[in-house]
Amino acid sequence: MAELSHPLLLFLVTAATLVAIGVYGFICGPEPLRRVVALNIISAGVFMLMVVLAYRSNGPGAAYFTADPVLHALVLTGLVVAVSATAFALALLARLGQATAPLPTEQETEQETEQETEQETGQ
Amino acid sequence: MIILLLVLPLLTALLMLLWPRIAPLLTLLSAAICSMLALQLLLQISEQGSRSWLLAGWPSGLAISWQADTLSCLLILLSALLQLLVGLYAFATRVRDKLKQGFWPLSSLLQLSLTALWLSRDLFNLYVCLELLALVAVALVSLSGRIAIKAALNYLLLSLFGSLCYLLGVVLLYGVYGVLDIAGLASQWQTSWLSNSALLLMSLGLMLKAALWPLHGWLPAAHAAAPAPVSALLSALVVKGPLFILSLLWLQLASTEQAQAMALLFAAAGLAALLFGGWSALRTPYAKKMVAYSTVAQLGYATLALGLMLKFNQPLIFAALWLFVLAHALAKAACFLAIGEMSATLGGKRLTILKGASQTMPLAMFAFAVAGGSLIGLPPSGGFLAKWALLQGIWLQGQSLFWPLALLLATLLSAAYVFRVVVLAFDRADPVAPDFSPQLLPQWLALLPALAVWAMALFSEPLLLLLRLEA
Repeated sequence: MAELSHPLLLFLVTAATLVAIGVYGFICGPEPLRRVVALNIISAGVFMLMVVLAYRSNGPGAAYFTADPVLHALVLTGLVVAVSATAFALALLARLGQATAPLPTEQETEQETEQETEQETGQ
Repeated sequence: MIILLLVLPLLTALLMLLWPRIAPLLTLLSAAICSMLALQLLLQISEQGSRSWLLAGWPSGLAISWQADTLSCLLILLSALLQLLVGLYAFATRVRDKLKQGFWPLSSLLQLSLTALWLSRDLFNLYVCLELLALVAVALVSLSGRIAIKAALNYLLLSLFGSLCYLLGVVLLYGVYGVLDIAGLASQWQTSWLSNSALLLMSLGLMLKAALWPLHGWLPAAHAAAPAPVSALLSALVVKGPLFILSLLWLQLASTEQAQAMALLFAAAGLAALLFGGWSALRTPYAKKMVAYSTVAQLGYATLALGLMLKFNQPLIFAALWLFVLAHALAKAACFLAIGEMSATLGGKRLTILKGASQTMPLAMFAFAVAGGSLIGLPPSGGFLAKWALLQGIWLQGQSLFWPLALLLATLLSAAYVFRVVVLAFDRADPVAPDFSPQLLPQWLALLPALAVWAMALFSEPLLLLLRLEA
C-alpha cells in the first residue's frame, strides 16, 4: 500500500466519514427516499476512497507519485452502475407514490399528483 | 463458444426491444441454444479439465479473468435449463396470468448476468455481475404491479446496500494487494486486519444479497409478491449467485485461521436459518410465503455446509454444498410453479385453497409432493443425496453427535411444513372447486423439474465424483 502522507489522510478520513454518515442514514431512515440518498452518500464515500487509493508511489524509492489508471476505470464503472441503480430506485419510488395514495407521505404525493394533473392539462 | 453463451441472451434481449411481438419465441430459442451449448461445455470441461481465459488479450492483472470448471459449467447448464422451462411455463400461462411483456427481455438478461457470474473470477467483475443480477431481479419482482412495488423497493435498497458493502471490501483488497483476480489474490494473501475487515464487509454484503439468516428479512415478501415464473427463477437461481461468490471468497482466498474463525459462525447461522425459516414456513397462512420461507430454511443447509467445509476441509462436504444448491434449485422451481398454478386455478393466496387439491389438480400436487420430498431429503431425490453426503462428511470427521442431531431436527421441521400442505391436499371431503378447468400443460411443466430432482438420485455417482474433484 502507498505510504499515506497528510493530505491523503484527510481525504481518507473524509471518505470514511461519508460512508459512516450514509450507513447511519440508511439504517435509521424509515423513508425510502432518505435511504436512496443515504445509499448515494455511501457510494460517494466508496468512490472517494477508490480515487484516494489510486494515488500510490511509483515503485520503491520513486520521488513522484502517479495515479493508478485501473482504479479510475473502476470508479467510472461504479459511477455508471450507481447512477442507473439510483434512477431505477427513484422510478420505483415514484410508482410506489402512485400506487399508495393515503400514506404518511400524503402531502408529497398530493403535490406530485397536482403537478402531474397540471402537466396533463397543460398538454 | 463460451462467448456465445453470453452474447446470445444479450442480443436476444436487445432484439426483443425492437421487435416485442416475437419476444417469447426469441427467449425460448436462446435458452434452448444456450442449454445445448452449456451441456457441450460441461462435457468438454469434465473431459479436459478446467479452462481459464483472460478477456480481450490483456496481460494478467489488467484483464478480467474467467474460469470454467465443472461446477461453473453445471451451474450454467442449470440456469439455462431452468430458464427454458420457466420460459415455457410463462408462455403457456401468459394470457391467463396477464404476464407483462417485460418478462421476456428481463429473463434473458437474468440468464446473461448469471452466466457471467458463474464464469467470472475477478472481484470487480463479480461486483458488476451482482449489481446487474440484482437490478434485473428487482425489475422482475416489480412486474406484479402495485402489490409488489413496496417489496421490490425494499429488495432493491437492501441489495444496493449489500453491493456497496461488497464494493468497499473489494476496494480495500485492491488497495492492499493491487490485484483483482482471485487466483492472483490467493497467491499473495496474508492475514491482517485489513484483509479481515475486507472479507467481513464482503461477506456481510453477500449474505444480505443471498438472504442468509439473519439478513433474510426481505426475501419472503419479495419472492411471494412476484409472479409465479419469476418467483421460481428468483428462488432457484438468483439467491445462489451471491452464495457462489461467498464460497469462492472463503474457500479460495481466506487463510486457514480466518476460515477457522468464521466456520462456526457460518454453521450456526445455517442452523438458525433452518430452524427459524422452517418454523416461519410452518406458521404462515399464505402458500407462496410458505415456499419462500422454505427457501430461507434451505439456504441454511448451504450455509451450514459452507461452515462445516471451512472447519473440516472435507471434499464430501463441498460436494454436499453444491448438491444442496442444485437439488434446491430444481425442487424450488417445481414448488413455485405448482403452487402458482394451483393458486391461479383454485383462486386464492391462502394455503386453505389447496384443500382437496390432490383430487382437483393431481399433477400439480404430485409435482409439489415430489419436490417437497427432495426438500425434506427423502430418498430417492437430490435432496437426499446432498444430505447423505453432508452426514457422511460429518461422520468421517469424528463422532460428534451434535450436527447429525441438528440436521435431524431441521429435517423434521421441513417434513412438517411439506406435510402440512400434503395433508390439506388429501382432505378430499369438500374440495375447493377450481374457477375454471385446470390446464394440463403448465402442470406438466411444473412436474418436470420435480422429476429432474428424482433423476438426480440416478446420476448420484458421477455428480458426487465431479463435485468432489472440484474441491
